[in-house]
Amino acid sequence: MNPLQELLRRVPALLMARRNLSRNRIRSGLAILGIIIGVLAIASLGMFGTTLRTGADQQLGDIGNEISISPNLQEGVEELTDRDVDEIRRAVSDGAVVPIRSDAVLVSRGDQQTVTTIYGMENPGAIYEASDGRVPDRLRQGALVGSGTAELLDIEPGNTIAVDGRTYRVSAVLAEQQGISLVNPNSAVVLPMEDVNGTGYSQVVVSAESGQAANESAVAIREELNEREERVTVFELQSITAGIDQFFGILNTFLIGIGSISLVVAGVSILNVMLMSTIERRQEIGVLRAVGVQRGDIIRMILAEAGLLGTAGGIVGALFALGAGVALNSFVLNDPMATFQPINFFYVALAVGFGIATSILSGLYPAWKAANERPVEALRK
Amino acid sequence: MSHIIELQNVWKRYDTGGEVVEALRDVDFHADPGEFVSVMGPSGSGKSTMLNVLGLLDTPTEGTVFLDDRDVTDLSDRQMTARRKEFIGFIFQSFHLIPTLSALENVEVPTLFGDDPAARDRATTLLERVGLGNRLDHRPDQLSGGQKQRVAIARALINEPRILLADEPTGNLDQETGRSVLDLFDEIRREDDVAIVAVTHDPQLSDYTDRTVELVDGRIQ
Ligand SMILES: Nc1ncnc2c1ncn2[C@@H]1O[C@H](COP(=O)(O)OP(=O)(O)O)[C@@H](O)[C@H]1O
Ligand SMILES: [Mg+2]
Repeated sequence: MNPLQELLRRVPALLMARRNLSRNRIRSGLAILGIIIGVLAIASLGMFGTTLRTGADQQLGDIGNEISISPNLQEGVEELTDRDVDEIRRAVSDGAVVPIRSDAVLVSRGDQQTVTTIYGMENPGAIYEASDGRVPDRLRQGALVGSGTAELLDIEPGNTIAVDGRTYRVSAVLAEQQGISLVNPNSAVVLPMEDVNGTGYSQVVVSAESGQAANESAVAIREELNEREERVTVFELQSITAGIDQFFGILNTFLIGIGSISLVVAGVSILNVMLMSTIERRQEIGVLRAVGVQRGDIIRMILAEAGLLGTAGGIVGALFALGAGVALNSFVLNDPMATFQPINFFYVALAVGFGIATSILSGLYPAWKAANERPVEALRK
Repeated sequence: MSHIIELQNVWKRYDTGGEVVEALRDVDFHADPGEFVSVMGPSGSGKSTMLNVLGLLDTPTEGTVFLDDRDVTDLSDRQMTARRKEFIGFIFQSFHLIPTLSALENVEVPTLFGDDPAARDRATTLLERVGLGNRLDHRPDQLSGGQKQRVAIARALINEPRILLADEPTGNLDQETGRSVLDLFDEIRREDDVAIVAVTHDPQLSDYTDRTVELVDGRIQ
């Protein structure tokens, strides 16, 4: 005996239910189709929300992982000192600390020239990537050019430029930063720290591994540096990304709500199917009652039928939904595997659970009605 | 008392919108183990109503029902269902087999919702006994009328009842098939000591019965 037969023998309600459903395949099939559509709608709208969120996260990049510390000008602090940077390094347990010194100077290549912002950084690799060339871990010589400046002055890695009268070899052109950025390099030039005039720092950027680590660092830095006076202002972009996350959460709930409506319609169709099939089987149910089958067993049998319709529809709907997710993600994100993340499995499970629950709920009234019919009435011709 | 089932002063009234129909009037009846009783009478005389009261499918308006010397008149639906399962086997004129189940599964139906691992063996033995050992996996639409009634008889016997109640068991069968079903009844009541109460119009039934009860207008004659 195979396991399915074994299960059906153990749970007679299931055996009877399965046989009853196979009696009118078209009708059962249509009821299942309703559930498939409902489950597909909920699961794929949920996954659609995930795809939108993932797309938005890609646009935002790691910005939620970064914080920026700047001198509090209102308290008369003009710039951050080496001591401040040391204290920041001590406060940050996990993440790169990038002190920045900035200035505005004349940059030229050949006969073209422009005034741009220059940033002095020791470790620009912690926050920037190159679109062309290479960003060294420690910047000791050479210059990194922002994409806007590079375009304006027609610069490529290997070119020589003059910054404030000194000449530099260009190591890399930096990738264009889209959207919001704490230290936007697009129309700037990055130089070794000691080549920028001054002794203090205009800003310190901390790049952490996660949004949560960034937030913890921000708290620690405020405690450390602002203990006696408000020496620094700490700016977190996490609040923005949290707001965006919240927006997508609401959007998802809304989408799933729309999907649920189709499941309600499917539930009504199951109610109709079960009602019809119990009315047709009136006599049979009367015979079952006559030979000693209890009311509760009749209820279980009919609920098992509804549950089987829901389970079959749920499983097929889940498979379709995963297929739809793969199609959507390969189209929108160019990454079909993005479908297989925990939150999407949650949506699929949620949709299947809703589908089965809706079916069983819709079976309740027909089951109750069939079980409470008196067998004498059912057996009268 | 040795009566397995007994009705005392049983009345059954149906209130059909103003007019009250008295389907049973002061009926006293009993059957003993191993006894074969036929109930005869014109259409509408209350035969089916009496059988339903005997089978604990219906409750009398007045009077008392005893099953195995116990008063079962006012039991709950749950208790009545349990008693039906334990004591009573039903055989219907139109067989009432479940079309989606095989002969063997139909016989097992009364045992399905309960823990009864030996049921399959008993069902097989019973089908062999009624001459359908080679039809175990046939569905009802693959069986003749007489074969269906045999499956129904096997189903009625699966829980080893003390009483068989049959409403026109030969009504849908030709004479010869009817006779073979009656031979089977005779064998059952002798071998299993089962009381059989059969409602019928079939005159050949009197060849088999110990007693015949006449119902006219709800009264035993
Ligand atoms: N549920 C019911 N409601 C109203 N009248 C009924 C009901 N069941 C039976 N009767 C009436 O009771 C009488 C006896 O019916 P029944 O026992 O079926 O007779 P028989 O089986 O002898 O033909 C008939 O007059 C019938 O119309
Ligand atoms: Mg009748």
